[in-house]
Amino acid sequence: MHLPDGIVPVEMALAGYACSAGLMALALHRIKARPDPQAEIPRVAMLTTVFFAASLVAVPVPPTSVHLMLAGLMGVTLGWFAVPAVLVGLFLQAVLFGHGGITALGLNGVVFALPALLAFGIWQQIGRRWPDLGAFLAGSGAVILALALFATIVLAGLPAELDAAAERMALRIFVLAHVPLALAEGVIVLTLLRVLRRVERRLLYHG
Amino acid sequence: MAERGPGPTARLVIALVLAFGIASVQGLAVLPYVFVLAIGLVLASGQWRMVLRRMRGPALLALGLCVVLPLGSGTTVLAELGPFRLRLEGLEAAALIAGRLLSIVAVTLALLAALPPFQLVAGLRSLRLPALLADLALLTLRYLDEVTAELRRAHLARQIRGGHRGWRALPDHATLLATGLIRAQARSERVWAAMRLRGYGAGLAMPLARLRARDWIGMSVALIAALGVIWLDRVL
Repeated sequence: MHLPDGIVPVEMALAGYACSAGLMALALHRIKARPDPQAEIPRVAMLTTVFFAASLVAVPVPPTSVHLMLAGLMGVTLGWFAVPAVLVGLFLQAVLFGHGGITALGLNGVVFALPALLAFGIWQQIGRRWPDLGAFLAGSGAVILALALFATIVLAGLPAELDAAAERMALRIFVLAHVPLALAEGVIVLTLLRVLRRVERRLLYHG
Repeated sequence: MAERGPGPTARLVIALVLAFGIASVQGLAVLPYVFVLAIGLVLASGQWRMVLRRMRGPALLALGLCVVLPLGSGTTVLAELGPFRLRLEGLEAAALIAGRLLSIVAVTLALLAALPPFQLVAGLRSLRLPALLADLALLTLRYLDEVTAELRRAHLARQIRGGHRGWRALPDHATLLATGLIRAQARSERVWAAMRLRGYGAGLAMPLARLRARDWIGMSVALIAALGVIWLDRVL
């Protein structure tokens, strides 16, 4: 679910860069307030690598197979570090594989980083008391927010002379087609966090 | 090409300038010039096979747009076949979006995809990117192949062992991912210990040396080309 190059007007792409820069500045401010942020870089990089690699592997979600977004899981395990991790992942995908796009990098950053932060917030607020519910909502909620942001940007960015009703219909189909992905990511985050809570609690971000 | 052409910092700037120049195109008349520019860069990079291989995904997306938009959008009907109507506005929009998309991806891949990871990250550092982001990018690139291979092996092993299918297989995938994350945590502790032993302080990737004459020439030519595309788009 990457916005490709050339779909939205340049003004929107530049606004996306500005929004991503703002998110990045906020995230760096929060990260620098942590006790030893440099010591966390290898951990964040290794987890980013796993998320990047896992998003390249297709997972069967009937009736088809999908590539997971994992924004929710990034939020839960990386916290504020999810913002730089998302931007690095998107940049590498754009320049190495042609996924997403270099002009759409800012907008894609917003589409993925905001849901990751939402998942982080959900996990912090709900996950402590009801971990399974928090995990499912973090995984599914991130996909749903990403879909909403993606659909809004595409609707606002497509040429005005196109049939608005047809655009809305196409986006509705697109969003409905991704509902199984939202459920699947909820189930995956729930199961995965159960394992991590038992085996490796340090992987859950605190702060 | 990396030895002969502009350095990594200049390549990043050139890619951004050209990409935004192409993205600002609003009319179809200028697209042939944009294609010439993109094809020229791909050929000059000497990496056209790699660029074509990596453009499969974007090409499929462009093809999808060229099928969906002309049939689903617009008011002026050009042709009719049974329930399908080919519409002018949708066709024009599809050609414009697909043209911009493929050109930008080709330019980006031709300029950046062949750069060694360390040079790419050093180029980012020279653009004043925070050290945290640059180090994150470098370490991610360093371990990407290894981790991808591990995950693929784990998925293959799971398939060979049999197990659940469909929705019931999701927890198995989650467990595989959890294993990957736990290994990553262990690996990160070793990497951090090694980084401290080597005196890690100001970032893994140092900014590159100052820009050379050919870098400035490359960036100037790219700026002129991007402004030329925008100007042609206005006048044609």
